[in-house]
Amino acid sequence: MKTSDVIVIGGGLAGLMAASVAASRKQKVTVLTYGSGSLPLASGAIDFGSLENLPAHHPYKKIGLKACDEAAKFFYEVTEQANLPYVGKLSALLPIVTAVGTLKYSALVPESMNASNLANKKKFFIVGINGLKDFYASMLANNLKKYFPNKTFEIAKIDLHLLGGRDITCMDAAQLLTDNEQPFANELKALKASKDDAIIIPPILGVAGDFSRDVVQTQIRAQIIETTCLPPSPPGIRLQRAFMKYLQASGVRFFENSKVVRGITDGKKVTGVIVENAVREKIFPARKIILATGGFYSGGLTMRDFDQPREPIFDLPVFFPTGAENWSNMQLFSDKPQGFSTTGILTNDKLNPIDADGNVLFDNLHVVGANLGGCDKIFERSAGGIAIASAYKGATL
Amino acid sequence: MEKTTVVVIGGGATGLGILRDLSMRGVKALLVEKNDLVNGASSRYHGLLHSGGRYAVKDQEAAKECIIENQIMRKIGKSCVEPCGGMFTRLDIDDPAYEELWVKGCKDSGIEATPITLDEAFRLEPRLSRKHVKSAYLVPDAAVDGFRMAWQLIDSSKRYGGQLKTYTEVIGFDTVNGELRGVKVRNQFTGETYEIGCDIAVNAAGGWAGFVGKLAGVEIGVQPDKGTLIAFNQRIVNHVVNRLHKSSDGDIFVPHGSITILGTSSMSVPDPEDTSTSCEEVESLIKIGEQTFEDLRDFRILRTFAGSRPLYIPPGGAVGRSASRGFAIVDHAQDGLKGLFTIVGGKFTTYRLMAEKMCNQICAKLGNNTPCRTADEPLVEEVPQADIDRAKKFFPSYGVNLAATRLGVDRFKKVVARLESDPESRELVCECENVTRAEVEEICKDDTSFIVNDVRRRTRIGMGTCQGNFCALRAAAVFADMGVEPSAKDSLTRMKEFLQGRWKGIRPVLLGRTLRETEMTRSIYELSMNVTEVSQ
Repeated sequence: MKTSDVIVIGGGLAGLMAASVAASRKQKVTVLTYGSGSLPLASGAIDFGSLENLPAHHPYKKIGLKACDEAAKFFYEVTEQANLPYVGKLSALLPIVTAVGTLKYSALVPESMNASNLANKKKFFIVGINGLKDFYASMLANNLKKYFPNKTFEIAKIDLHLLGGRDITCMDAAQLLTDNEQPFANELKALKASKDDAIIIPPILGVAGDFSRDVVQTQIRAQIIETTCLPPSPPGIRLQRAFMKYLQASGVRFFENSKVVRGITDGKKVTGVIVENAVREKIFPARKIILATGGFYSGGLTMRDFDQPREPIFDLPVFFPTGAENWSNMQLFSDKPQGFSTTGILTNDKLNPIDADGNVLFDNLHVVGANLGGCDKIFERSAGGIAIASAYKGATL
Repeated sequence: MEKTTVVVIGGGATGLGILRDLSMRGVKALLVEKNDLVNGASSRYHGLLHSGGRYAVKDQEAAKECIIENQIMRKIGKSCVEPCGGMFTRLDIDDPAYEELWVKGCKDSGIEATPITLDEAFRLEPRLSRKHVKSAYLVPDAAVDGFRMAWQLIDSSKRYGGQLKTYTEVIGFDTVNGELRGVKVRNQFTGETYEIGCDIAVNAAGGWAGFVGKLAGVEIGVQPDKGTLIAFNQRIVNHVVNRLHKSSDGDIFVPHGSITILGTSSMSVPDPEDTSTSCEEVESLIKIGEQTFEDLRDFRILRTFAGSRPLYIPPGGAVGRSASRGFAIVDHAQDGLKGLFTIVGGKFTTYRLMAEKMCNQICAKLGNNTPCRTADEPLVEEVPQADIDRAKKFFPSYGVNLAATRLGVDRFKKVVARLESDPESRELVCECENVTRAEVEEICKDDTSFIVNDVRRRTRIGMGTCQGNFCALRAAAVFADMGVEPSAKDSLTRMKEFLQGRWKGIRPVLLGRTLRETEMTRSIYELSMNVTEVSQ
């Protein structure tokens, strides 16, 4: 196997971003993935959380604000090339409507979900589809009314003849619209919504970029707004596909079902990784490694016994809060960070992993995304921002 | 004023058993429960239908009661009992002398204990430790579903005119010249207080019996004894597997459908409301459990839970493991209060017998000579095969029989009709437990469904592999449309409350793949749904 300039381990948001950035800089990039990452779970919007007043060990302190800005800029390049328009910037957040009818604020938002104009709309049509699971129009409307008490709400349900088979998810409906969006457009037209109205729908406007959205929106005067949904989430998968398109166009080698089991190291250098499949092990040599294997959800961190979290590939030291009372909070939805979610690898400002004394363990290994420790990215609403900004930094060092 | 003949206080197995028994004998009875039904020890336990083997050495009276009731329960509650059989295994560290006592104890108590070879034991239970297990016996233990039995007891009671009110707490007794006239209660949601007139009241409040007694000015020797249990997400054992030694912590494994429950600990607690569990308790149970099953740590833990045994402590009696598992009936006429009874102690396996003895005394007082029939009549009628066949067209086949028996004849018929007429109602609200929207809608309308957790206990939504990750949103949404006002409309609170209920049992076992599930829960509900409504 030829030596790669960069091997990226992990195909989630951070891994895809790091590979894209490295490829844009004419590097020879190999991506090794196992599983699909957490984008199919994600809303599609990129939350950055707060960039100010952070403690010294916070990942943003290592990443730096410059990388955050440049990452956002690069993110736009990728999504524009894939014809998947995003709006928003780090300094001003935009609202999106969730599947339960709350508003969520994010920095980079798919244009199809941008709800910042809702306040100027007269009437909200909440539109469900017969047979589509997981979209509950009346619950959504009741909760959204709390944000917009003076608006008129109308709940509508349209028929796309989905009933009669197995349960239909947003992903199924999005696929259907990718194939033919016209029946859906016709049903929306029949609502007779004016240009002063908004039509709120589940996120089903296609799975491959904004194509379906354009076709439908150009026929409807009211603004169509997609909500978030339970997984699998089309907006997250659109983003995944946008990155895949970018990687393909840049000649990145992408290996699926390739579980990296350990690294080959020489002092402070990682010279390659070993991939295991059903029949054999294979060596992938590289000059630089980006570790984007995710946190507990993706298996980038594991913990079989209490107080013994591990990073399974390089056996890097893992920071974690000790003691049961610091591991988690009494409330699932708490007013403070969850200890277990702050677990992860600590780094220097080159994102090289460090031990408890601050010594760098490998100087050509960069840790990016959810396996970075030191903050609760869900509590902070910073998961997406840390993923793309650390990936950008890791790939450009 | 609302009036009845007997007020039964406490919606656990004992109270529900009494309600059924009285109703079948034609006595007008109303059960009040301060929370939801079977919210105490009647669901927070192993789900073990004892053969009596557990008590064969220490308490042969209890052992004999167990084996008799075990046989009755299999007959009257067929669909609640999983007749998996039980195995007692002695390990190398256990006292061989105890084994001899135990064999004799089983024989004397009428419990069939069949010795088997170790080869046979390992064939039946392949995961048993080959290193430690030294001898094994088969006994007629079984697994029993406490929730299902409760719903069937209610259906049976209602058929005979029994009534019940949940979330209705007893706050006092109305007495005149030492005679009971009524029970004062409070609605937990509205705060409204009122009185229910009655001739007799039965304090069947389990671990709470002491508090209820205090309201009447009588002292009752009940000591809540907390037991912690672990639910594993796999069927690790085929039989109920017991350690053959003097009863101790963490020595029973019970298979239930696709999961296994390991327990339990024993700890005196001041408050029966204390159902907290800790990492230390979990670790200690696993340490003991892995003596019997060495690879125990490789299984995913689903959750942990705890309940309080209502141990009866007669004046000067022993507490904890040494305390009797027997039960006692007190007629408070002896304390100068005519009309109030307390029944306390006992165990799930013998709830029916306890109810029978209690009702015999009540009926004697009322001059009612109708004999008890609860041992002869099945709890519910069998669901007609024709309805099951109709349902199979829309149901995952694994779930049909389970749904049929938890819903009962009438509700199942309604649900099947709805599945036939409305294709949207066929979608699965809970994929883990195979619960359709039609079933959830039907249960949301039930007069004991006040919050989504009540719907959970009746349908099993959220009790499976994903612990509510997907069904929390769906259930809150369906409940918002179908449930009682005003609680139903507050869907965000209901959703969070439901997930918080799951979290309580997950938190002490937050490791391994459970961490993964939790990250998913948070990512869906905090990031994608913003249920905590974080603003800019």
